[in-house]
Amino acid sequence: MPTRLYAVALVAFVLGLLITVQARVAGQPPGEILPAARVQELTAELRRLEEASAGLRREAGELEQKIAAAKQGQTQARAALQTEIEKYRIQAGLVPVVGPGVEVMIHNMPAGSLPGTEQYVFAVRDEDLLRVVNELWGAGAEAIAVNGQRLVSTSEIRLAGTFIDVNLQRITPPYTIVAIGDPDVLASALEIEGGVAEMLRAFGASCLIKKKDTVRIPAYEGTMAFQYARPIKEEVRG
Amino acid sequence: MWQRLKSRRFYWGFIAIGLVLGLMVATQFRVARQQAQAVPIQRFNELMTDVQRARQEQESLQARVDRLRGELNRLTESPDLAALRSELDAVRTQVGVADVAGPGIEVVLNDSSATLQPGQNPNFYVLHDEDILKVLNELRAAGAEALAINGERITAGTEIRCIGPAVLVNKTQRLTPPYVITAIGNPETMEASLKMRGGVVDTLRYWGIEVGIKRHPLVVIKAYKGATGFKYARPAPAEGGE
Repeated sequence: MPTRLYAVALVAFVLGLLITVQARVAGQPPGEILPAARVQELTAELRRLEEASAGLRREAGELEQKIAAAKQGQTQARAALQTEIEKYRIQAGLVPVVGPGVEVMIHNMPAGSLPGTEQYVFAVRDEDLLRVVNELWGAGAEAIAVNGQRLVSTSEIRLAGTFIDVNLQRITPPYTIVAIGDPDVLASALEIEGGVAEMLRAFGASCLIKKKDTVRIPAYEGTMAFQYARPIKEEVRG
Repeated sequence: MWQRLKSRRFYWGFIAIGLVLGLMVATQFRVARQQAQAVPIQRFNELMTDVQRARQEQESLQARVDRLRGELNRLTESPDLAALRSELDAVRTQVGVADVAGPGIEVVLNDSSATLQPGQNPNFYVLHDEDILKVLNELRAAGAEALAINGERITAGTEIRCIGPAVLVNKTQRLTPPYVITAIGNPETMEASLKMRGGVVDTLRYWGIEVGIKRHPLVVIKAYKGATGFKYARPAPAEGGE
């Protein structure tokens, strides 16, 4: 008899454990879940905000210098304006620039490079390039060119017929995307697990990412005279 | 008879003791684990406070930069500098650091409202960063001169990235659907380009994404909020030496 008693007790013990675990899982308040992903997201957000603030602080410092200079006289004011214009011209893409960065080479999978691929060969599409470029901007790229075409605020990357157009200019594979920024950050944004480089390779395209101490990005070749958009004068501004 | 009764009571007693013991052990275990989790939650709250503080700092720095830009404008208002000033205005407009107005369109994008059949992947029926990228790209191809999404100016360097159900734009701005894209340019050309057969709107509607397009005689697009000036890129030496 005692063995049976112990067996019954054991079953009851396990039952007790199960009931508690069940109650715990069902009634778990949200605060108890370890928010690892949320912590990660907040950390990233904090870093981005701090970077944004650092940039603003840098600009404020520069503006204060320009203002101090402009107060000294007309010649200094003119010089201050010119450096301000130059800063925006660089940012608008109207000036060729150099700096550290990455070079990304993307090539279609060559026909017949794998057995049975003669019929289906993946060709890099406009949206693939858009994604690469989007990741690079997100990683803090300051200037980007695709096959020598500087990307400006009005630049498109779009399939037109069988070719991709950038700034209304036809580009052909292999595609070379050059970006200026922190080379490590730019490269890892593309190489991240599940990222755009992995996706391209999964489709059979090649994606070669090289970090560079210096890359050169040409100026935008087109004209940027706006026909429709007019600046609103400051008086009108809220 | 008595024997049987006694052993039955015995059974019940053991069952009760076992149950209580089991409950106690499991509860004990649970309390111990809760204590281990309490620390990250506190850290999480601290981080939240840090993020709020950082956002406030960013906003006050932005206000300071705006004020300083205005001051430089006022200091350079003399007629002698008028030519340079209009050049500055033009290049600021191109970068996106000036409020602009003009004719254009408004595109409203929203997740599919269709009820899904069991087994359908809900992820296919919500808007992705890529969908927004494609719409913006199409608008640029159709000659858009200024773009904004939910009031956030789209500059050359603006990224569109999904984070959970939201979209992150200009590094620090989180937007949620519906997404309202405003574009300044030729309204007819832009609308036609989006609505092209087999084009962007067709593709989005296939997935049940709601797309609304309206033409407007006057659209106002606010300036980009954020710092200007580069940290890594500098003007290339004249003869392009690498």
